[in-house]
Amino acid sequence: MISLISRLHRRGQDRSEQYFTAGQFALIRARFLRNTTGVIAGTLLSALVLIGFFAPFFSPNAPGIEGANPDYRRGAPQAVRFCDANGCSLRPFTYTYVRETPKLDLSSLAGGDLSALDALTASGGLNASAQSRYVEQTDQRRYLQFWVSGWEYSLFSIDWLGIDIRSDIHLFGVEQGQIHLFGTDEDGKDVFSRTLHAIWVTISIAVVALIVKLITSLLVGGISGYFGGRVDAVLMAITEAVRVIPPIPIYLACAVALSQIELTPVQRYFAIAVMIGALDFTTLGRRLRTHILTERNQDYVLAARLSGASTGRIIWRHLVPSFSSYIIVDTLINFPYVILAETSLSFLGLGLTEPVNSLGVLLQKAQDPDIQQNMVWQFAPVGVFVLLIMAFVFVGDALRDAADPYSERRR
Amino acid sequence: MYEFLTNTWLLWLLSTSAALLWWRSRVSQLFRYIYHRYLLALGTLMLVSAIVFSLMEVLPGDCAEKMIAYKNTQGEVITQAQIDAERARMGLDRPLAVRWADWVSDLTLKGDLGFSCSKRQSVNAALGDRFWISFGFCIAGLLFAYLIAVPFGILSAWSLNKPWLDRKAHHAPARRLRNSLGLALSKCMDLQLRLISYLGLALPNFLLALSIILLYVFAGEPTPTGLFSEQWQGQPWFAASGFQWGKLQDFLGHIWLPILVIGWAATALQLQTVRALVVDESNKLYVEAARARGIDGVRLWARYPVKHSISPLFNSVGFDFQRIFNDLPIVAVVIGLTDAAALLIEALAMTNDQELAAGILFLVALAVISMNFITDVVLAIVDPRVRNSVMQGGGH
Repeated sequence: MISLISRLHRRGQDRSEQYFTAGQFALIRARFLRNTTGVIAGTLLSALVLIGFFAPFFSPNAPGIEGANPDYRRGAPQAVRFCDANGCSLRPFTYTYVRETPKLDLSSLAGGDLSALDALTASGGLNASAQSRYVEQTDQRRYLQFWVSGWEYSLFSIDWLGIDIRSDIHLFGVEQGQIHLFGTDEDGKDVFSRTLHAIWVTISIAVVALIVKLITSLLVGGISGYFGGRVDAVLMAITEAVRVIPPIPIYLACAVALSQIELTPVQRYFAIAVMIGALDFTTLGRRLRTHILTERNQDYVLAARLSGASTGRIIWRHLVPSFSSYIIVDTLINFPYVILAETSLSFLGLGLTEPVNSLGVLLQKAQDPDIQQNMVWQFAPVGVFVLLIMAFVFVGDALRDAADPYSERRR
Repeated sequence: MYEFLTNTWLLWLLSTSAALLWWRSRVSQLFRYIYHRYLLALGTLMLVSAIVFSLMEVLPGDCAEKMIAYKNTQGEVITQAQIDAERARMGLDRPLAVRWADWVSDLTLKGDLGFSCSKRQSVNAALGDRFWISFGFCIAGLLFAYLIAVPFGILSAWSLNKPWLDRKAHHAPARRLRNSLGLALSKCMDLQLRLISYLGLALPNFLLALSIILLYVFAGEPTPTGLFSEQWQGQPWFAASGFQWGKLQDFLGHIWLPILVIGWAATALQLQTVRALVVDESNKLYVEAARARGIDGVRLWARYPVKHSISPLFNSVGFDFQRIFNDLPIVAVVIGLTDAAALLIEALAMTNDQELAAGILFLVALAVISMNFITDVVLAIVDPRVRNSVMQGGGH
C-alpha cells in the first residue's frame, strides 16, 4: 500500500486524492496492473478468447466434415516458409503436397494364392498410413494470401434478435487447395481450424457452468447463512455429504443418464454445462454462508431491515456485494477446473460429441495406437489448451492477489 | 447365535464404540467432542449413502432387465411380464426409499454392499482387494504430493519477496557472496517448481498419462501399462525359491506411472496451498514479535509460521484424498489398471451396474469421512489452539 501511495505521490498530489476516494474495483485494477505476469497472462488470455470468438475468421478451413480435404487425409502439418533452395520471398508459402500412389504388385494375387495376400497384408502396404503418404513438391509453391474470401460463416449472430452478420472473409488462406497448419485427421478435417473452434466452445461451456454454479452457491449459501438455525443445519449437512463424494463419477453417472435422452448436440452441450455447474456449489456455498453468517448481524443490515427491505433484497443488494470481489476471483480461479472436468467427460465419450468441437472431443481418439504412432499432430490442440489454462491460472492468481486488500502489506 | 453375530457384527462394533465414547464423554470434554464428531460422521455417511443410492437410479436399466436380457442371449423369448416378475422377485418394484433402507440396513448390519448385477456376485466379492489397490494408489499419490509440496512450498514462501542478491552492507563480502548464491539458487528453484506445478494444474491427468505412454511408443519400448508385465502376471509372490524379487521389481516398474500421474496435479495444488498458508502465517504479528526477540533464520521459520501452518494442511488430508480419487478413474482407463476406479468407470459407463457403482462411491466417501474424523480428533489432541476451542466450546 505504501509503495502505491508513494507512486501516486510521484504522479502528483491530486492523484493521491484519487487513491483514497477510489472504489474497490479501481483499487483492484490498479494492483492487478502492477503484476507483470498477470498482465502478460491477461493479454494472452484476451487474445485467445478473441481468436476463439472469431474462430471462423482466423481458421482457413471449415472445422466440420464440409471443410474436410479429401486430397489430404491423415496429412502431416504443412510448414510455412519464407526461404528455400529456389530463393526467398517476402510472402510466406507452403508447398503443394501430392499423394504418393503406393506401388502394389497385385499380379501375384491373380492365381488365387492366399499366401500372397497374406504377404501383402503383412507388408503393411494396405494400411491407411501407407496408403496416404504425401510428397511435397518443392517446385510448386503455394503463397499465403491474407484477407481471402472462402467458406461462408456467421461472424456474429443473436438468434432472438434476428441479427446475423455473415461473412466469407478469412485472415489467411492459399491460392489453390487448402492449408493445414496442424495437419489433418483421418477424414481430412483440419486440426488447426478445429482447435480454434474448440477454444470458444470450451470457454463458453465453462462460462455457462460457472454461472450455474454461482446461482446454486448463492442460493445455498445465501439461504443457509441468512436464516441460520435449522435451515442452515440441514443445508450444510447436505453440502457436507455432497462434498465428500468425488465429483467426476457423479458427472459420469449424470452424463450416462443424459445419453439416454434424445438431444441435439447443442442441447446436450448446455445440459453438460448446467450439470457440471449445478453440482459444484459446495466450496463457494460454504464460504458465502460463513461470510453472511458473520455479516448479517452488522449494523447496515439492521438499518436495511428497519427501512423495510425484504429478505431477498438484503441478501442480494447488501450482503452479496460485500463479497463480490471474492466471488469474482473464485469464479475465475475455477475456470481451469471446469474446463478440465468437461475435457475428461468428452474424452470418455460421455460429454460433448462430434459436430461440436472441444478439447475432449478432439482427443477422443487419442488412445488409438494408430493415432499415437502415425498421426502425432492430432495432439497439437493440447499445446493450445495448456496455454489457455495456464493463462487462466496466472490471471486468477494475479486477481486473487489484487483483490486481497492486505496483499500490499507483505511487500 | 454365531450366525446372528456374523450377520450383525458391524452394528455391534459401531454401537459399542459409540457407547464407549458416550461413557467417557460424561466426564471428559475432549471425549464429548469426539463423540459429537463420531455421530456427525455417521450421520453424514447416512446422507451420503442416500445421495449415492438415489443418484444411481439415473443409470438406465435395472437388475431385472439385465438378468432377463442375459436369458435372451441364451435364445429364450422374453416378455414384459417376465421382466415384471423378475423385478418383483428381486424386490425392485418397491419404492426407492424402501430399497435404500434395505441396502443401508444390510450395510450397517454386516458391511454388505449389495449385489452386483453384471458381475453376478456380491459387491464385496466383486471388489475383493481392488478397493485396497486404489486406496494404496491414492495414499501413495498423496505421500508423493506431500513429500514434494511441503518442503518446496515452505521454500517458496520463504523466498517470496526476498531479493536475488544479498546487498546488506554490514555483511562481510564472503558472507554476502554465500548468501547471494543461496538466495539465487532458491529463487531459481522456486520459479522452476512453480512453473512445473502450474503445468501440473493445466495438463489434465489423463493427458499426462497419454503423453508419457506416447514417449514410450516413440522410444519403441513396451509401455508400462497395468500393474505387471505379462511375464509376471500369473506368478505368485512367494514361489518355491522364496520371495520373488523379480515380481516386486516389475511391480515397482509399473506403479510409478499412475502414482506420478495422479500425484502431479495434487502436488501442484498442494504446493500452492502450503505456500499461501506459510505466507499468511509469516505475516502475522507473533512472527514479528519472535523476530524482535532475536530469533532468526531456520529456527524462526520452523518454530513459528511453519509449525502453525501444518495443522490446516493436515486437516485437509481427507479432501485431498477425495480429489486424488476423483482423477483416478480416467487415469485408470488410460493406463489400463484393474483397480476399483477402473471398476467404477466400467460400472457407470459400460455395464450400468447400479449397486457396484454405489458401493465403490460409498467406500470412497467412507474413506474421506473417516480420514476427516481421524484428523479432527488428532488435531484436537495435538494442536493446543483446537484443543482450547474444544474445551471452551464444548462441542463444535
